[in-house]
Amino acid sequence: MSATREDVGGTPLPPGWAKPAHQPDAFELTTTTFEERAAKTMARPFARGAIANATDHAAALTTARFVGTDHDALREEARKIRAHAIANLPDYLDHWIDQAERKGTVVHYASDESEARRIVAQICTDQQITRVVKSKSMASEEVSLNSALEAVGVDIYETDLGEFVVQAMGDRPGHVIAPILHRTKDEVHELFSAMAGHELPNEAEALTAFAREGLRHAFLTADAGISGGNFLIAETGDVLLVTNEGNGRLTTSLPPIHIALVGIEKVLPRRRDLAVLLPLLTGHGTGQQITTYVSVAAGPRRQGEPDGPEQMHVVLLDAGRSALLGGEFEEALHCIRCGACQNVCPVYRQVGGHAYGWVYGGPIGAVLTPLFRGQEEAGELAHATTLCGACDDVCPVKIPLHDLLLGLRRRSDADGHVPRHEQLAFALWAQVWSRPLLYRASTAVARGSLRTLARDGVVSAKTPLLRRWTAGRDLVVGRRAR
Amino acid sequence: MTDRASFLAAIRSAPRGLDPGLPDRRDAPDAPTQLRVGEDRAARLQAEAEAASTVVHRVTASDVAATVARVLVEANSQRIALTTDLAPFVDDVQATLAVAGLTGAIYAEVAPNRAHAGALDATVTGCIAAVAASGSIVTSAAGAGRAGALIAPTHICVVRDEQIVGGLHELFDGDVLAEAGSLFALQSGPSRSADIEKVLILGVHGPGNVHLIIVAPD
Ligand code: SF4
Repeated sequence: MSATREDVGGTPLPPGWAKPAHQPDAFELTTTTFEERAAKTMARPFARGAIANATDHAAALTTARFVGTDHDALREEARKIRAHAIANLPDYLDHWIDQAERKGTVVHYASDESEARRIVAQICTDQQITRVVKSKSMASEEVSLNSALEAVGVDIYETDLGEFVVQAMGDRPGHVIAPILHRTKDEVHELFSAMAGHELPNEAEALTAFAREGLRHAFLTADAGISGGNFLIAETGDVLLVTNEGNGRLTTSLPPIHIALVGIEKVLPRRRDLAVLLPLLTGHGTGQQITTYVSVAAGPRRQGEPDGPEQMHVVLLDAGRSALLGGEFEEALHCIRCGACQNVCPVYRQVGGHAYGWVYGGPIGAVLTPLFRGQEEAGELAHATTLCGACDDVCPVKIPLHDLLLGLRRRSDADGHVPRHEQLAFALWAQVWSRPLLYRASTAVARGSLRTLARDGVVSAKTPLLRRWTAGRDLVVGRRAR
Repeated sequence: MTDRASFLAAIRSAPRGLDPGLPDRRDAPDAPTQLRVGEDRAARLQAEAEAASTVVHRVTASDVAATVARVLVEANSQRIALTTDLAPFVDDVQATLAVAGLTGAIYAEVAPNRAHAGALDATVTGCIAAVAASGSIVTSAAGAGRAGALIAPTHICVVRDEQIVGGLHELFDGDVLAEAGSLFALQSGPSRSADIEKVLILGVHGPGNVHLIIVAPD
């Protein structure tokens, strides 16, 4: 009854679609500095404007969404759920595995990035998988999954519209929720027209239709679907996936094999915890009431169900996560990847996601990247912030990003890199201050959060890192409310 | 290759962080996805669904089939599939479609061939619940299938008044999910993307034309 590979196997994709463009393998983290990468985005005026507009818009929608509710109490509830789940991570994971296996899911264990690549590549070779549709997964970006699969002869189609553009351009996602925030319609038009072999109308609707058509074909002929997972529910062995386009569900429904690559920190104790986490994830991510498609899967298709995969595999990814447990930076594991901290970060808004050099941008990127990639490669990122604290104020699970960044700075300062980094942070801050509109926007954001550093209502010049930023300008802010 | 025991052992060997305890959900604060006191469920469902660009029809049981047929004729749908969770309306809908010169195939018979499923113009499904405060319909792998609600450009969902729950808390605390099968899903309006310069496009991979038929209690 279920879809089999023989249905449409071997059907060619439209011309121009046969070989997806290759994604660059190496991240720039090791070869360039933050400043160099930031300069690239800052040299593209559209990108800067687009990032600032889009992030303003997202932040405003989030605020509007929670009017009339006890937003702070909800965030506190979410913080406790995440903290409890992480404090008891091995127990909840153990339980999740029991439940998932009971429902027929095959669970795999990846201690590090290379093991994750090996496991998925092995599944592909064992089962003669040559065409894969993929729904956006940050974990797979972390482990550079695509290039590992291409190496074993698998054609991969990213199916999220933005990710598809990123893949075809050989680019990297610029934002955790909106991957091509930094790209123009003209650039997409040029790319898709080249793929189509003729000039397409330069309208978002027509361009989307073009991508839909080719990707629909990929969905109907793929041997496997690869996804990430937004949450794992310990109680029931579920993998939860949210998307607005519907590509996530198609990825887990149409191909005969579904493989999910999920970080171990994604565990939630119970389904009912979703009533708290889901509205926060979407409200802070896109400002919607709820993401259009929320799919909760446990195991492959069962007897009597009209569709669905014959196999479900979940690859649990550690890759540096367990090393954070119980330590100074454990709270970084509470992150639900909503992207809100990027939207309000005055540095991210200036330089975009690529400057962070790896998978995650903005404040959470400045925290996670040094923790996952090491101080040597990424220590400077802890300085790519203004420490305004806007991220703390917006994080739906109340991660103290500001404190984590300070902690990472202390670590990096111990390596003796202070002066150059301080210059970098100052340069970024100066960029914001040099333009009146941006200045106003960023202070609107920072007000209430600079409070963290303020004494007697004035940001003090005593904090060494603020010395140069406040020179000649006293920033008067309200007394700290806490 | 790392096995379960060594994988978990590595995690267990890490020190444990502060545990604030698992909050008791009975005291959970308000979320936007909860019903306000005294609010009418069907009215809220309609408002939230419309805010998410779903077309809402409120009808009596005897008008369901005619409404389905009208929507399908307007959408000019030819290849139509019905899922079994549409019961008790399946026969009625098929008969009414026949009068309009249309055929409603059964999705379970179409789905085994992906190419056929992918070529559908419209699907008509039931659901296991609808969530008023989030404007969502909840479908199950056992009923509408995994892809039944989003494989075609037009989707019509029929929900009976007694299937509407107030908010997400009610959904997850209730028992409708127990029989969902290998997957349950919340859908809230048409498929959408704003990836290209923030222009909102409906109908990316899923349907752009979504109708919700709310059936009044007898
Ligand atoms: S750190 Fe908080 S605000 Fe930033 S992405 Fe994670 S959950 Fe969202």
